[in-house]
This record gives sequence, C-alpha cells and structure tokens, in this order.
Amino acid sequence: MTEPPQTAEPTTPEPEATAPVPEARAPQTPAAVRRRAVLAGTAVSVLLILAIVFGSRLLRDFDSALLPYAVATVFLAFGVAYRYTVWVSAPGARRLFRQGWRSFFSVANFRRAPTALPRMIATYLGFQKFLGARSHARWAAHQLLFWGCVLAALITFPLTWGWFTFTSNTGDGPGYEMRIWGIKVLGFNALNIIGWLMFHGLDIAAVLVIAGASYFLWRRMKDRGAVTGQRFAYDLIPLIALIVISVTGLLLTFSSIFLHGGGYEFLAILHMVSVVFTLIYIPFGKFFHIVQRPAAVGMQLFKYTSRRKDGAGEELQTCRRCHEPIDTPEYVENLRGTMQDLKLDFDAWAEYCPRCKRVLRGNAYLTHVKKGFK
Amino acid sequence: MMGRTIFIDPGRCIGCQACVSACRECDSHRGKSMIHLDYTDEGHSVASLPTVCMHCEDPVAPCAEVCPADAILVTADGVVQQADTTRCIGCANCVNACPFGVPKIDLQAKLQMKCNLCYDRTAYGLAPMCATVCPTGALFYGTLDELRAERPGVQVADSFTFGDVVVQTGVAMVVPADKVQWPVPGGLPVVEINGVDVSGANPNQGGGARQEGVR
Repeated sequence: MTEPPQTAEPTTPEPEATAPVPEARAPQTPAAVRRRAVLAGTAVSVLLILAIVFGSRLLRDFDSALLPYAVATVFLAFGVAYRYTVWVSAPGARRLFRQGWRSFFSVANFRRAPTALPRMIATYLGFQKFLGARSHARWAAHQLLFWGCVLAALITFPLTWGWFTFTSNTGDGPGYEMRIWGIKVLGFNALNIIGWLMFHGLDIAAVLVIAGASYFLWRRMKDRGAVTGQRFAYDLIPLIALIVISVTGLLLTFSSIFLHGGGYEFLAILHMVSVVFTLIYIPFGKFFHIVQRPAAVGMQLFKYTSRRKDGAGEELQTCRRCHEPIDTPEYVENLRGTMQDLKLDFDAWAEYCPRCKRVLRGNAYLTHVKKGFK
Repeated sequence: MMGRTIFIDPGRCIGCQACVSACRECDSHRGKSMIHLDYTDEGHSVASLPTVCMHCEDPVAPCAEVCPADAILVTADGVVQQADTTRCIGCANCVNACPFGVPKIDLQAKLQMKCNLCYDRTAYGLAPMCATVCPTGALFYGTLDELRAERPGVQVADSFTFGDVVVQTGVAMVVPADKVQWPVPGGLPVVEINGVDVSGANPNQGGGARQEGVR
C-alpha cells in the first residue's frame, strides 16, 4: 500500500499550521510520584494535627469522646493529599492544573473579569447548574445531598477538632455560648429557635441527605441507563454509607428525646463506625469527585480567560478543513502538549474537528483501501 | 487480539441511518445517538462511513489518557466506557484527541458521551443496537470466525496509521485481501485539503512513514 494522499471537498485554501510550544518535561516515574504523594500526605496530616492541637487550645477544648472521628480525619487528609498528588501528576491533569492556577493568579485576567471566578464557583460548585442540564430530578437530589453534606461537614469537622465549643455558665442552660478557638462568637438560648437550629443542625443535614441519597439509590435500581455499568463498590456503597450515617445520626436524637437515652451508646458506636469508614473511603471511591470537581472551575476559568483577548473579541481556533470553531488556541496548544507528553504523536489531528477527522479517514479508505467503496 | 467485536465494512454501507436511529435506543444514552454516519464526498458520491468507537487497544484509549479527570474507564474486556458522569468536567480533551473523531460532548451538561459498544447488551452476549439493525451487514458483531462463516475469505484490519503512529483497535474494518498486510490509513498526514496541497506546508503532521509488519 502506498502513502495515502487525502482529498476533500474543494473550498478554500488553508493557512499554515501553527506549531505548538510544548512545555517539555521529563516523564515522572511512578516511584517518584508515589514519593511525592507520601510527602504531601504526611505534610498535610501533620499540619492538620497541629491545627487540631493549637485550634483546641492545646487540647483543652478537645472532646476525647470524638477522638476516633478526629483520627479518621487525619487519615482522610493523608489519603486525599496522596491521591490528589498522584492525580495532578498525570499529564492531562498536570497541564490543566497549571493553566487553571495561571489563569487564577493572572492580574490581567482579574482586571478584565473580576466576577468570573466567584460566578464559576457558585455555578459549578454551589448550584451545579450543569447537573440540571443532565436531569432536573438528579440536580434537585444532588443539591439536597450536597447542602446536607456541606452543613454536616461545617458542624462536625470543627467539633471533632475541638475548634467549636458550646458551654453554659449555668451548668445546664438554657443560656449557651458558642466559642471558636476559645473566642466567644455567639450567645444563645437553647430553648428558642436559634438554639433549636444550633442543636439540630445535624438532624436537618441528615434529612436532606436521606432524601437525596434515597432518590439516587432508587435511580440506581430503576434507571436502565444508571444500571448499565454500575458497580456495587463504586456506585452503591457511597449512597448506602450516607444513608447509614444519616439514619444512625437521627436515631441518636430519637433515642435522647423519646427513649430517654435508651440504646444511645450502641447507636453512638454504630454511627461512629459508619462515619469513620466513610471518611477513610473518601479518597478511594466515588467521593473523590468532591476533591476533583474544582478542576471544572480551573478548566472553565482557563478557557474563559483565554477567550477574552484585549479588545479583539473572541478568538477561537477553527478546524483547518471546515473552519468550524474547535476551541481557544491556548486550549488546543495545551491539548497538543498533553498528547506529546503521552507520546500520542498524532497531536496535529487536534487542529481538525471530529467530523473532518472521520471524513478524511473515510476518504483515505475510499482512495487507498477499497476503491469499490465509491 | 480480536474477540467478539464490531466489524465495519464501509463498502456495504448504504447510508440508511438505521444504525443512527437504533443507537438512540441504547439504555446507557437513551435518546442520543452515539454512532456517526458521514457522507465522505457528499454531492459527488453516495459513499458513507459509519463510525463507532474503535476501542483503541494500543495505545490504549487516547481519550482516557488525555482525560484530566480520570473519567474514562476501560473495562477488563477492553471496552472503553463513556465518561463517568461524576468525574467528567466537560473539558473536551477526549473529543479533540480521539484520532477517529468519536466522542461527543454536551457543553451545557459538561458531559462527554460516546459509543460504549452497547455495554448493556454486549455484556449479556447480545449484539449492539447498530449491528442488530444494519440491513446490509456494514456493521457486523461477532467473532472473526463468525464473520468468515458468513463471508468466506474476508480480511479485516485492526491497525490504523496516523502519521508515524499506528493505533491498534478493538473494533476492526473489512479490507481487501491485498491490503490486509498494511495498517489502514487513518487520514493523517493530510497531504491535500480542499484541493490544496498542504503536504509540504505543515511540518507538524508527522512523517507518515508506514510501519510494516505491525499487525
């Protein structure tokens, strides 16, 4: 078979291709990446331990009953930092990570679009508008799950670290003081609405999480699209874990209000075990998307800021054959660099749109493989 | 090596779009067709080319390799899945890196979608939707032996060249017997485009040297 010249519809001549400027970098060995990840994990864990010790005023405010939770968060910190480091060491993520932070720290970008970042954080991380485009029901359920988890994390993490304390000068209330790092921030009456909300924040979070997770569990059993390719450990365990945590948490309240504390100790241990296992599981399974999702903001910021050239309007790289827009020149250059890092040496193909790639391949087949195809 | 897979024979394709309609019925992406049917020389020829995901084996899944979110997973049986909905950030790296132009992206939903060989069907031994409905056998699902039982002596190729790179795929194409010893040209380097010779103008396209005896 000879060299395959390609033909396409005669329209307009093409400009010359632009050569990408690859950010050449020596490939990292898996051992080097692992070493860096262990270092990062250890550093973050040590920092967290120091933050717990000093944040709890040398453990004076630390609640020893919550020790297992605090230990689990240290393991969580190690696991997240370890996996994050491994993740951002891969060529695709590393380049995007660098571009995202470069866009973030660019003063010129900030001057041009000061509201871009807060808007993107609210859109992608807070209200997750993109989920609405996938399904309204999934968006609603995910919002319940998300805000429930955020509320629970904001309450429990500082509590287990001894950063928050709720104390009463009168011994058993109803006047309480909330202190952060030993500094009084709020005084409230435990019997009024503020007090009720303060002491039932986790119950509210549990209700939100149960509603959201139940919908997703139902969907995982009924929706044929979701059932295809789902895995028990990856897709179902996280939902079951959230429901177990929430239900055992609510049962603690139920026990103290209606059973006069009956079964409280057993429920407390059950709740603790489910929370500890879930915290340790976070870096390994589906929950890691919580850590990864901010990459969407970095990616969007990179694309958004590279689209907004000073006074020149939008600048997009177009397909070299059909002139349909592909993306910003910076994005295409970044992708070509990633492909070169990975030794995918057909990176010039990134300057053609997907359809033209298929058509050119079809033409090559037509011309050089099976002429009868015509 | 090739097990049960799709064999594409563009010479048999009549461009009827039955595969495109059937693909929409696949449970994992209901309502959206993931197969591409391109008329390669529209207005001059009725030639059409169906494109499913080729499930690249070597290099394994370039789309997954360039993914910054580790969203594209490859199953143990070599099927390159569509992006994990939890992880995909909608960056379109896979869309623009795929040498075959396969993945699609929904920019509103920030989600990549692509042919996953009808995993809900093939996992149970059923043929993918497209191969089930194709009236001419341009899309055949089965083993090479099963294909040859129907079409004695047919030859297939599962290697494609893109410049200097040879990509070996899980999905194969039917080729004439005298062309089987060479990888199928993938379209790169582009030496002529829109009637203009660009072979000398673009040094970034790779040398296009044939790699013999790769298959």
